[in-house]
Amino acid sequence: MHQKLSFYVDRDSFLHHLNPLTKLTLVLTLVILSFLGLSYWLPTIIFLFIIIPLSFLGKVAQEFFNATVKLLLPVVGFLFVMQAFFHPDGTQVIFSIWIFDVTVESLSFAYLTASRILTMVASFLILLLTTHPSDLMSDLTRRGVSGNLSYVITSTLQIIPQMQVKAGTIIDAQQSRGLETTGNVFNRVKAVVPLVGPLVFGSLVEVEERAIAIEARAFTAPLKKTSLREIPDRAAERAARWIFIGVIIIAIGLRIWLL
Amino acid sequence: MALVELSSVTYTYPTTDKPALKDINLKVEQGEFLAIVGSNEAGKSTLCYTISGFIPHFFHGDLVGEVQVAGLNLEESKLNEWVLNVGLVFQNPFNQISGSKFTVFEEIAFGLENLGVKRSEMIERVERAMELTGISDLADRSPYSLSGGQQQKVALTSILVMEPQVFVLDEPTSQLDPIGAREVFEVIKEMSRAGITVIMAEHKIEWVAEFADRVIAMHDGQIIIEGSPQEVLTSPLLPEHGIGTSRYTQAAKQARTEGLFSETTPLPVTLDQAVAGFSGGNHED
Amino acid sequence: MKIEINNLHFTYPGEIIALSGINLSIESGEKVAIVGQNGSGKTTLVKHFNGLLLPTNGTIRIGDWDTKDHSVAELASRVGYVFQNPDEQLFNSDVKSELGFGPRNLGYDDDRTEELVEDAIELTGLDNYRDTNPYDLSPTWRKMVALGSIIALDSPIVVFDEPTTGQDAQSVEVIARIADELHSRGKTLITISHDIDFCAENFERIIAMSEGEILLDGSVLEVIAQEESLATTFVDPPQLTRLGKELGFDQTVNDQASFLGAYRLSHEQN
Ligand SMILES: Nc1ncnc2c1ncn2[C@@H]1O[C@H](COP(=O)(O)OP(=O)(O)OP(=O)(O)O)[C@@H](O)[C@H]1O
Ligand SMILES: Nc1ncnc2c1ncn2[C@@H]1O[C@H](COP(=O)(O)OP(=O)(O)OP(=O)(O)O)[C@@H](O)[C@H]1O
Ligand SMILES: [Mg+2]
Ligand SMILES: [Mg+2]
Repeated sequence: MHQKLSFYVDRDSFLHHLNPLTKLTLVLTLVILSFLGLSYWLPTIIFLFIIIPLSFLGKVAQEFFNATVKLLLPVVGFLFVMQAFFHPDGTQVIFSIWIFDVTVESLSFAYLTASRILTMVASFLILLLTTHPSDLMSDLTRRGVSGNLSYVITSTLQIIPQMQVKAGTIIDAQQSRGLETTGNVFNRVKAVVPLVGPLVFGSLVEVEERAIAIEARAFTAPLKKTSLREIPDRAAERAARWIFIGVIIIAIGLRIWLL
Repeated sequence: MALVELSSVTYTYPTTDKPALKDINLKVEQGEFLAIVGSNEAGKSTLCYTISGFIPHFFHGDLVGEVQVAGLNLEESKLNEWVLNVGLVFQNPFNQISGSKFTVFEEIAFGLENLGVKRSEMIERVERAMELTGISDLADRSPYSLSGGQQQKVALTSILVMEPQVFVLDEPTSQLDPIGAREVFEVIKEMSRAGITVIMAEHKIEWVAEFADRVIAMHDGQIIIEGSPQEVLTSPLLPEHGIGTSRYTQAAKQARTEGLFSETTPLPVTLDQAVAGFSGGNHED
Repeated sequence: MKIEINNLHFTYPGEIIALSGINLSIESGEKVAIVGQNGSGKTTLVKHFNGLLLPTNGTIRIGDWDTKDHSVAELASRVGYVFQNPDEQLFNSDVKSELGFGPRNLGYDDDRTEELVEDAIELTGLDNYRDTNPYDLSPTWRKMVALGSIIALDSPIVVFDEPTTGQDAQSVEVIARIADELHSRGKTLITISHDIDFCAENFERIIAMSEGEILLDGSVLEVIAQEESLATTFVDPPQLTRLGKELGFDQTVNDQASFLGAYRLSHEQN
């Protein structure tokens, strides 16, 4: 039933075998490139020609498209519409509804924002789909990031699937006591209201429970941790990470120079 | 000196005024198997938390008196060092999962990763621990999709594998099938024979009688009686305080009132004692 | 209301086979205990009763409803299920609204809801905790709240999943009384429990499961007499049953009264 608490898909692919930090650096590079504003179409190009191919390379294309369509597009679409209507300036009105104008400028701004957000979230999605959360955690701690911080990073990245599971549990409990949450749209919307409170409260309780559970397992013990899973880190990957960092520096330099 | 020692310990949770532990004095020797029985709200879990350091370092509140394990003083120690000596299996079997692992094997290894155990040794220890508690076949399963009893066994194994010097277990068999529960008692008994100090809160009187070296009974935050399993578990104080006794004891008591069970034979707690006691009564008159 | 299960199979995602061919029928007003090994499929089976799980294969009917044609919410009017883990069941911020949640959804008016809630409070002994947040209660009391929230549904079929775990002697007694009371109201009562003594003393029929199948199904005395088959479901016979056997009694005993009866008899014969 509700057993997936993470995006991670256990497959055997090139991406899966990369060191988590390499993937994290790559993702950050892509995100920074999308947001620097070097070129209007850059986020779109990154999405189409880097991220989508990566999803195939990682053998997670199906899961990637699934999550993109179900999770990402609604949010990005919403953002797009909001920006298109409510962006303040712009003169070339295309059409208007009531007092709101959709202008060429607002449309183009909306597209840029939406494509940036899409690219950012999609890059992280690729990381999450192909990286075992505890590998990311182990690798970060091994490199001297504090245990607590890496735990926070890792669990933040899992927050959506964890919430989904929690919501599923609460819905089961509510349905079992007669709350109709299926069927017509009205039922579904009505069912969201009693879900929010327990979801937030339950998540807070869970944070505390987790804290005590990992404490009992010596998570904060003042010892050097080891890892059950072997995390590869080849020289080529170290080189790749420096290249990514180089790209970021050059991009930032370009941006300043172009200004 | 005793390995675990509590002197005049009184503890009050931050949200209440009424102490949950009142003037507890307790000594446990190395390698001893101590069982705690008591009705609901008696303070069993609170005592377990105190010995394992979660009181006062996680649940704050007001702790008076002294708690020592292996010569270390609890209030002067840090929780993250204390847990290296004292392991606790919590009462609620459903929320002890670390949250970052995808297989039962990884979940059980989590504690050893934190202890910095070498990978090869880690694998060996996890395999051995899973075999002991009979969950080897769950190794590759997700820790989130297990039955209640399976979850409880994983929680138990996750602490057991860390081989703490003092092993505190808060009702570790509540979700287990009868034979599985007995097997867990056997495993824990083995550990105590090997020198690990065991402190275990339990309702299953028959197995407590069979396996524990010593028993304390609690009520309303106090230890009301302490002694050998036979002595404590047949004491009239137990039913008076709403604490369960074994069916053998109950039946023998009833039989006694009808003159069917000898007044001089001690009340039975285990099957063997009951067989001896009831067949003895048979031949007496 | 009759429960009828035909050749029920269930497989969890990941090819985990939990039930393989269950055939079972439970008549209206029966008092049934389900026992068996950890992971044998007890919880999975009863989650089919209220439609939380739907068969991979086979059918299950509750009265004249096939569960696959009705929503879980609709089935709640026929089957109340108390989860094994109370944390998964409770979501309200105080005990009273927790207990009232079900009856209100089923469309009972305020008076009737109040009546049902009060009845559940009385049966479970939650009187002092009406306004307490269930999360602030001890695990054993939380289980009582979970029981109460289902009792208040007033459904003709009630299913308890491990109600006695962690409960002391008095609370087990309370649960036994709740079971008696619901039974006397004509409800069908199904309880999963590892406490075989409790089952033998308080139920009429026992079903023992092992690896997704029903291994034994019969009256209490029939089932607890079969020590070897029971052992394959990882269950020992009740304490007094074992004792009776060791003492060489002719008949199987299931509780103190029957044990002492048999003992007197053997005593007189000697
Ligand atoms: N976190 C807490 N905050 C406040 N009071 C608590 C807390 N935990 C327990 N108590 C109270 O402390 C007392 C002892 O509870 P404790 O949980 O130790 O009992 P127990 O013997 O373990 O009972 P059970 O058999 O129900 O597990 C009770 O009165 C209880 O209400
Ligand atoms: N959500 C789930 N996803 C996948 N497998 C599951 C899930 N829940 C249970 N299982 C598996 O299905 C089988 C039957 O589990 P179930 O919970 O029905 O057992 P049970 O008889 O209730 O056991 P227990 O006495 O331990 O509660 C077990 O092997 C279990 O690991
Ligand atoms: Mg407790
Ligand atoms: Mg179960």
